[in-house]
Amino acid sequence: MSYPKIDLHIHTVVSDGTDAPQELLGKIKEAGIGFFSVTDHDAIKCSALIPPLLEAGDPAFLPGVEFSCKDGEGKYHILGYGYDPAAQSIRDAVDYGHALRMKKVKKRLEFLKTQYGFEFPKEALERLLSLDNPGKPHIANLMVEYGYCENKEQGISEYLNKVRITGPSYLRPEEAIRAILGAGGIPVLAHPFYGDGDQLILGDEMEKRLQRLSEFGLRGVEAFYSGFTVRLIRQMLAFAERFGFYVTAGSDYHGKNKMIQLGDTGLEEEPELPDGLKHFLEDVKDCTR
Amino acid sequence: MEQTTIFLRGRIDSNNAASVERDVFDQLASKENTAVILDMKDLEYISSAGLRTILRLKKSYPDLRITNVGTEIYDILDMTGFTEMMPVEKAYRVVSVEGCEEIGRGANGTIYRIDQDNVVKVYNNADALADIQHEREVAKLALILGIPTAISYDVVKVGESYGSVFELLNARTFSTILATEPERIDWCVKEYVELLKKIHSTLVPTGKLPDMKETVLSWARFMQDYLPKEAGEKLLALLEAVPHDDHMIHGDYHTKNVELQNDEVLLIDMDTLAIGNPIFELASMYNSFQGYSEFNHETIKQFQGFDYETGTAFWKKSLAAYLETNCETKIREVEDKARIIGYTRMIRRSIRRHGLETPDGRAEIELWKERLLGLLEKTETLVFSKNELEIEASTDRLAEVQAFIEERLEAVDCPPKAQMQIGVAAEEIFVNIAHYAYAPQKGCATVRVEVLEDPVSVVITFIDHGIPYDPLEKEDPDINLPAQQRQIGGLGIFMTKQLMDDVAYEYKDGQNILTLKKNL
Repeated sequence: MSYPKIDLHIHTVVSDGTDAPQELLGKIKEAGIGFFSVTDHDAIKCSALIPPLLEAGDPAFLPGVEFSCKDGEGKYHILGYGYDPAAQSIRDAVDYGHALRMKKVKKRLEFLKTQYGFEFPKEALERLLSLDNPGKPHIANLMVEYGYCENKEQGISEYLNKVRITGPSYLRPEEAIRAILGAGGIPVLAHPFYGDGDQLILGDEMEKRLQRLSEFGLRGVEAFYSGFTVRLIRQMLAFAERFGFYVTAGSDYHGKNKMIQLGDTGLEEEPELPDGLKHFLEDVKDCTR
Repeated sequence: MEQTTIFLRGRIDSNNAASVERDVFDQLASKENTAVILDMKDLEYISSAGLRTILRLKKSYPDLRITNVGTEIYDILDMTGFTEMMPVEKAYRVVSVEGCEEIGRGANGTIYRIDQDNVVKVYNNADALADIQHEREVAKLALILGIPTAISYDVVKVGESYGSVFELLNARTFSTILATEPERIDWCVKEYVELLKKIHSTLVPTGKLPDMKETVLSWARFMQDYLPKEAGEKLLALLEAVPHDDHMIHGDYHTKNVELQNDEVLLIDMDTLAIGNPIFELASMYNSFQGYSEFNHETIKQFQGFDYETGTAFWKKSLAAYLETNCETKIREVEDKARIIGYTRMIRRSIRRHGLETPDGRAEIELWKERLLGLLEKTETLVFSKNELEIEASTDRLAEVQAFIEERLEAVDCPPKAQMQIGVAAEEIFVNIAHYAYAPQKGCATVRVEVLEDPVSVVITFIDHGIPYDPLEKEDPDINLPAQQRQIGGLGIFMTKQLMDDVAYEYKDGQNILTLKKNL
């Protein structure tokens, strides 16, 4: 059975990507992708923005989201698919996530001001705070713009990473999972081996992590990911089978912000769709536009 | 193809992965068609962001290679499957063996003790990484199959060569024990043979180890230019006839490769591990204790640290224990088979090492060759069995045949009367073969002793390659006739039929096969 090219992990300008929804849609068609999802960080705007843009014969679209989570055990990115965008639970989680982000941005700006005397004009700050999803990279870009540091990386590692945030600063994984489930969606762990993107979690540690999240209600894993080797994909498929998880495939495309190609998921080399992915595609059929 | 080496330093994580990546691609920007080598000598840490950078680099430059990888980063690359996607070479610790005690020497390398707990095997071949990998793999295989051995845990650089490091605590080689505590020879023989039998009874899964027969055949082919045509052909034919055997052989089983660590006997130097008939192993053992020192008895001291007499005694006792016999003839028979392969190997080796270019070298090769030719003349098969004796079919050798049969019968508690009857019958048959099978030439006979159960019985088989002759066809003599009218001869076969419960004859594959069966 043939299946369309899939990419279920994509960012737009709504979070830290560089493509606007319309621009992205053009590139998706150009890349020959037949089934896609936009998963902005802590934001579900695209689930409302994209469907009106779609015409007959366009690729199928699945509403998505990527929540940044943290608890005593570590950091996680949890994807949500096929939820009802009008459901209260997911709207609350997005609002809460956004509020936490705003709290962190304000703390960081304050820290830069009091510790180093870095200040920005009012318009620049308004621009920053009006973003759906401002974070360390956005602040670092401002610092470069106003000459406080050489480049974005230096801004993050030498200044912004020194800020200590007290109190809750991220959703807990169980909160994100509950919110997605509550909106009729499917919670999936993003790039499982890479934690929130920059760790390396292997073997027993991975197993324990999946066990915990499974107890919270996690339903799937992103076993196909642009940054995974064939070996990692194999290992995650084995985990998925053992835990009875759905399997998804995503690139984590960010436009110009990361050197990742749309549709680069590692799935292309697969001779046949794994069962976990087949089941996922069947079960989200009714949620697509 | 052009090569471009890029040095990665410090940490690569999400903070700087993007800039490192830009930097790498910038360095490569002007080079379209190049093989990229990432040198990680000074890389301390890599996170998933860094791994993704490498992955993307691999997609743009399929010939990507990584070198000088430290242990921690190597582990990460290994666990995440990068080592399967691209060549990844480790950075090697540098070890010096200057002033270190040499504790072993094998075909492919020398073993030194570097400290109290560790030894390093330094390979002769400068490009030894493949050899090291091979030895590690076969050692692991041996361990899985139940052979006690040390497994290397690290690869190091020793001068221009590579070495593999093993943990070997308080270990002494059997050579050292024999040299310093000669009174322990019998204990050494017992342990040495026990381990040998264990190796030879280990079945190896198909394709995991090379077949020693192929190697020995290649030696024999090399020898064709140095032997008279007929002898060369016979050597090849003898080797061709050795049946395939999937049991393990060590390939270099001498006393420097057997270690006593605390109370455990350990096998080391596993790179010669193979499958094959045990005669190949005995050949290499013969060379270690006798062959290499036949021309100059001092040679063994350099290799093993003990003298030629000790080597001879250890070899004879080990062979006897291995064959579970004290029968001199039996031991000599198997030794002679081993020597044929042993001489073949030594002559080839010496010629390839310019042995023909010195007077001593030539004299040594001549000695081995003369002995090889003598053995080839009187040997019909290289296969041996504990229960079989291959011997010249001559009445002079009858006593040895009887001694061999007797020893086997005693081992199964055969009653004296049956033993005597079997002795009489066996004498008849063997003398018959000695007189008629090859006359006027000479030839060999094989005597096999087997014990069957249910009912308990002994089967003695005589095999010769002489003219086809069925002694049972002869009509039984009329023993009621008066003595003057009786035929001469034929009485022996008649008696044999009377004494045994069954006598059968068969001519097969050019062999006369006569079996005697006696119920006990």
